[in-house]
Amino acid sequence: MKQLSELATPFASVAEALIAAEGTAPWLKKLRQDALTHFKTFSLPAKKEEDWKYTSLWSLSQQAFSHHAESVEIAADQVDSVALLHDAYRVVIVDGVFSEELSDIDALQSGLSITALSESVDQLEHCLGQQTELTKAGLNALNTMLMSEGVVISIDSAIEIEKTIEIIVINTGNTANLATHLRHKIELAADAKATVIEHYVGLTPDSYFTDVVTEVNLAERARLTHYKLQQESNNAFHIATLATHQAQASHWLTNNISLGAKLARNDIHSQLLGEQSHVTMDGLYLVDGEQHVDNHTRIDHAVPNTTSDELYKGVLDGNSHAVFNGKVMVHKDAQKTDANQSNRNLLLSRGCEIDSKPEMEIYADDVKCGHGSAIGQLDQDQLFLLRARGLDEVSARSLLTYAFAVDVLTRIPNLSIREALAKVVEQRLPKTGEKA
Amino acid sequence: MLEIKNLHASVDGKEILRGINLTVNAGEVHAIMGPNGAGKSTLSNVLAGRDGYEITQGEVIYKGENLLDFEPEERAQRGVFLAFQYPVEIPGVSNIYLLKAALNAVRKYQGLDELDAIDFLTLVRSKMELVKMDEQFLHRSVNEGFSGGEKKRNEILQMALLEPSLAILDETDSGLDIDALKIVSEGVNALRSQERSIIMITHYQRLLDYIVPDFVHVLSKGQIVKSGDKELAKELEKTGYSWVDEQPEGVSA
Repeated sequence: MKQLSELATPFASVAEALIAAEGTAPWLKKLRQDALTHFKTFSLPAKKEEDWKYTSLWSLSQQAFSHHAESVEIAADQVDSVALLHDAYRVVIVDGVFSEELSDIDALQSGLSITALSESVDQLEHCLGQQTELTKAGLNALNTMLMSEGVVISIDSAIEIEKTIEIIVINTGNTANLATHLRHKIELAADAKATVIEHYVGLTPDSYFTDVVTEVNLAERARLTHYKLQQESNNAFHIATLATHQAQASHWLTNNISLGAKLARNDIHSQLLGEQSHVTMDGLYLVDGEQHVDNHTRIDHAVPNTTSDELYKGVLDGNSHAVFNGKVMVHKDAQKTDANQSNRNLLLSRGCEIDSKPEMEIYADDVKCGHGSAIGQLDQDQLFLLRARGLDEVSARSLLTYAFAVDVLTRIPNLSIREALAKVVEQRLPKTGEKA
Repeated sequence: MLEIKNLHASVDGKEILRGINLTVNAGEVHAIMGPNGAGKSTLSNVLAGRDGYEITQGEVIYKGENLLDFEPEERAQRGVFLAFQYPVEIPGVSNIYLLKAALNAVRKYQGLDELDAIDFLTLVRSKMELVKMDEQFLHRSVNEGFSGGEKKRNEILQMALLEPSLAILDETDSGLDIDALKIVSEGVNALRSQERSIIMITHYQRLLDYIVPDFVHVLSKGQIVKSGDKELAKELEKTGYSWVDEQPEGVSA
């Protein structure tokens, strides 16, 4: 059996090849080299690290991943069938490679630029890695040394993008045990406004590995609504970091819906660096069978007069395991911070397990902060009322499960996205029902 | 319609119903009265099929079938309706969704198609007039933030929509002020018909001034100890329940 540290070797040799590749800009070589050095020192995080106490990467370490996708063509209607929206700017990545043919970004609104990382990385020296650090555990380092594709979105000042941008990342299963390392970069200039969806889909039931880092930079008064819909295969590994810097009066709404993967880990981080900035950080996870989902969120209130509102809800069935760790950090002098955090879980089976840890660290004295965590089962009185009105038990349970989850969806401002996501969530309920 | 024969039921090994006998014919309204702890709510829960009650003896024949063999939803689909004493709140499920799902469950059992959206809404609106409910209640979560009176009116609205053959009203008058009591009673009275039987379970005679029963039964210690017409209720109003506990066990009138 391989130890976590041994896992570093195959990844490191792929990185070395990337660094040695001809035509790589010196600054990018250095960025990758620093990450590689870091990764060789710290490897992947082990369970003894507090942030990884409930999530083991052991099963990941036992896989032999491939880093070279055999070229594969998928039909446009296959993309249509998995897409969340049909009237969006669509950016499609298949098996780790941007597909211009399947994407729909030819006629972009003026002031909006969307490019593939593989095509534009040379121009990103000023901003790549700005929102992420090579933290002790090696995952950001892993992504930095190996990132090979992704989507780069930038929006000029005072431009409001009317169409939603949907990034669809598909694993076809054509290459066995494929590892893809993606880096998305989203930059909104002052007063810009946009909606972006990151959508991960597996077309195979088999094992693969999606490693993604999304960096977001919001300038003054910029407003970004961001959704993530994760529908990976139930044997896939999905490890993601989403990190945002928020300038004065910027507004970020992020909604992270996690339905798939054998092991999914999200590290989501907002730094409220300008006054009057706000983040709404929501999430919903539905897990079943042997699935494991771990959401680590962090919000830094770094300056006075910032607000945050966080709601994470989970539905657990089978032998699934979910972890929620939400840290809200109110820094010294961050007076008048208003922070609210809640994690609620519905346990449908005896075999499932939730580790919920809401945390607040407060170093300012004039703040309004609240947090809570709840774990419960379906209410027997509610169940009986529905059955006494003629709904069979499965439908009644399904309806109550949906009703539990629905308030994460009702916080979604865009009606067509809300309805599309509601439909996806309904399909994951014990039995499909109409939305309430 | 309904025949309860020597029904015994226990909760956690403690016998609550100790031989109930009651026959309710189509079109009749029966009131079951009794002091606290007599077994009134147990009887309504057993008839509706709530978990946690063990039937140790007896049977309940409803339209020729043994009611106790059915799941709660099967009873509802066959026309048994329980109006809850304490209607539970269901955040996240809209009232209109519940009404539609309930009606469709019953219609499906009857072999009827689902109503389309317009016909359904027309039907619901007509029933809402009956209990003087505003349309905004349709789009609120079931009973969430409703006053006591609104919750009970919502129960009667569901009954009006589902048109059950047998309605069991469990302490429908509890927690109602006089105006709400009148509205609820008018709603129930409008639903009286030759095809529909109603069992009203109540502690107080007050309700019976508004919904006048054909028969009144007194339940004590898990048995019906006296039966009569509406005059029996008035007698109870004067004398209270203290006398019923003095009845020798096993007597049923």
